[in-house]
Amino acid sequence: MTDAIETHDLWRTFESRKGFFFNELVHTEALRGIDLQVDRGEIFGLLGPNGAGKTTLTKILSTLLLPTRGSARVLGLDVATQAHALRPRIGLVLGGERGLYNRISARENLRYFADLFGIPVERRDRRIREVLDWVGLTDAGDRRVEEFSRGMKQKLHLARGILHEPELLFLDEPTIGLDPKSARETRKLIRGLVANGVTIFLTTHYMFEAEELCQRIAVLTRGRIVARDTVAGLSRLVGGDRTIEVEGYGFEDAEVGAVKRLPGVSHVVSEEFGPRLRLTLRVRTPELTWETVKATLPGHPELALRERRTSLEDIYLDLVEEEA
Amino acid sequence: MRHAPHAAYSISRSRALLASLRLAVLSFLADPQWLVPSMIAPVIFGLVAYELFLGSGPWFVIYAILGAGMMSMWGQTLYGSGWATGQDRELGTLEPTLSAPTPYLYVVFGRVAWNTVSGLLGGAIVFVVVAVTYGHPLPIVDPVAFALLFAVVIVSLASVGIVLSAAFVYTRYAGFIQNVGEFAFYVGTGCMFPVVLLPFWTTPFALIFPPTWALDALRYQAIPGYHGLPWGFAWDLLGAVVTTSAYLGAAGAVFRRVEHRVLEIGDLSDY
Ligand SMILES: Nc1ncnc2c1ncn2[C@@H]1O[C@H](COP(=O)(O)OP(=O)(O)OP(=O)(O)O)[C@@H](O)[C@H]1O
Ligand SMILES: [Mg+2]
Repeated sequence: MTDAIETHDLWRTFESRKGFFFNELVHTEALRGIDLQVDRGEIFGLLGPNGAGKTTLTKILSTLLLPTRGSARVLGLDVATQAHALRPRIGLVLGGERGLYNRISARENLRYFADLFGIPVERRDRRIREVLDWVGLTDAGDRRVEEFSRGMKQKLHLARGILHEPELLFLDEPTIGLDPKSARETRKLIRGLVANGVTIFLTTHYMFEAEELCQRIAVLTRGRIVARDTVAGLSRLVGGDRTIEVEGYGFEDAEVGAVKRLPGVSHVVSEEFGPRLRLTLRVRTPELTWETVKATLPGHPELALRERRTSLEDIYLDLVEEEA
Repeated sequence: MRHAPHAAYSISRSRALLASLRLAVLSFLADPQWLVPSMIAPVIFGLVAYELFLGSGPWFVIYAILGAGMMSMWGQTLYGSGWATGQDRELGTLEPTLSAPTPYLYVVFGRVAWNTVSGLLGGAIVFVVVAVTYGHPLPIVDPVAFALLFAVVIVSLASVGIVLSAAFVYTRYAGFIQNVGEFAFYVGTGCMFPVVLLPFWTTPFALIFPPTWALDALRYQAIPGYHGLPWGFAWDLLGAVVTTSAYLGAAGAVFRRVEHRVLEIGDLSDY
């Protein structure tokens, strides 16, 4: 069977006009050579900060945007030339509150799209009941969408996304703006879909979400994929398992440099918290002790050390930071 | 929930058209703000026109009333169609709609169908209100022919509305274009007064639009002694049919082209 998604050297440039008379042409390279492969039946996570190009890639793969260069196949079909054959087989959920007809009910929204997707009339109403029930909106089904909370709208988006039983579902930040409980419910729904054999391509800002849901992850920064691996593989990528945090009232550049050169230290990130400075050390070896670190920073009686397991969030921030 | 990939559904264009028509009706019922520009304003214009032209004889009155009726139909049929697509873009529903396998053109057809019906309704209301208010029916030479020609005018307006919708798919600035073009179209096609009253060089431009022909034909039929476009009623009617067919025939290609182009430039949503 073909891959769920396969892209080769995918580029996308936007041209927009700026300035008072719109006379200044601006080129934005939103994607710069994306190579990606997603298996059928997996949840693939695309992580990246704001403006990384996640939505752009999602739209290209879901046939709503054409690539400037390169190729992409989804379910074996070319997104640029075979969009008509592809559209009935994929679903798209764009995050946010927009994308629904606010003045009519949730049920009428679903019915409209069921008709556009050609869901057989004799199955339509049953299918709408099913998906409303699935997202827990059965009781709200006849209310106008404008009365919905953000979480409810997001669930309705999800219901619409799977209405026509797509083989592959694109989810662009499906939990954005949701409270922790709703976000958790949404993730549960997503896992349920995969259990039923649906392939999922998901974008998110949150590493923990990708970690919880995805088998494989790609990190996108400024239009490039800077890491692509399994969750376990990513953990090995940037450094060892240890993270040591060192806090004090400001360090000299020379001191930071000395810490960076310590054996086993693969990566140092410094952050300011008011007058305090925190150095976060990624450490590969078990040999490096707190004492060695303290000895490298003499004359800091206020020094506070803390050690914890390296989280994927750390690794993600390292990656995004390195690129910037 | 059971979710069995994958059932191959068959896409029906007439079903998409009906779904879109239904959505248009539901949206209208949920928010009948269009009553004001499309029904109430023309009625007021109609009443005023009646008072103004009464002294000039019954044919002037029907002439003025026709103008008011046209206003209503312009609002509903033409303006409303483009507006709905602009609304899709604003709501963010343009993307999910285009990601459905049905061509967007059929969604537009559905809306135009509703706009046509409500535009007709608007025109009829103007006639009825004026007739009832002044206590005598308006003089119509041949009601059947009149109704038929009225339908031709509506369809000619709809054909422009459909093509205009494509502009709204193409760019978020179509509203601006439409607002600028509205007045020119309004005057140019002879909605309010006949194009023969305009400077001669405007006529070729006006003839690009099917409603110019259709309206002139309607006036020839409804107003004895009317002097419109020099070639007269029959050629007017033929011109209306030909131009309207050309617009409708081109709509499919225009939409295919525009849908492709908009995926290239990436201007589907408003953020
Ligand atoms: N239609 C457009 N016209 C011009 N530039 C665009 C357009 N869409 C996206 N861009 C630019 O492309 C880049 C990538 O944007 P994109 O929306 O794909 O990022 P993202 O990763 O989804 O960000 P976010 O996390 O904020 O949703 C940005 O610099 C953005 O400004
Ligand atoms: Mg985005």
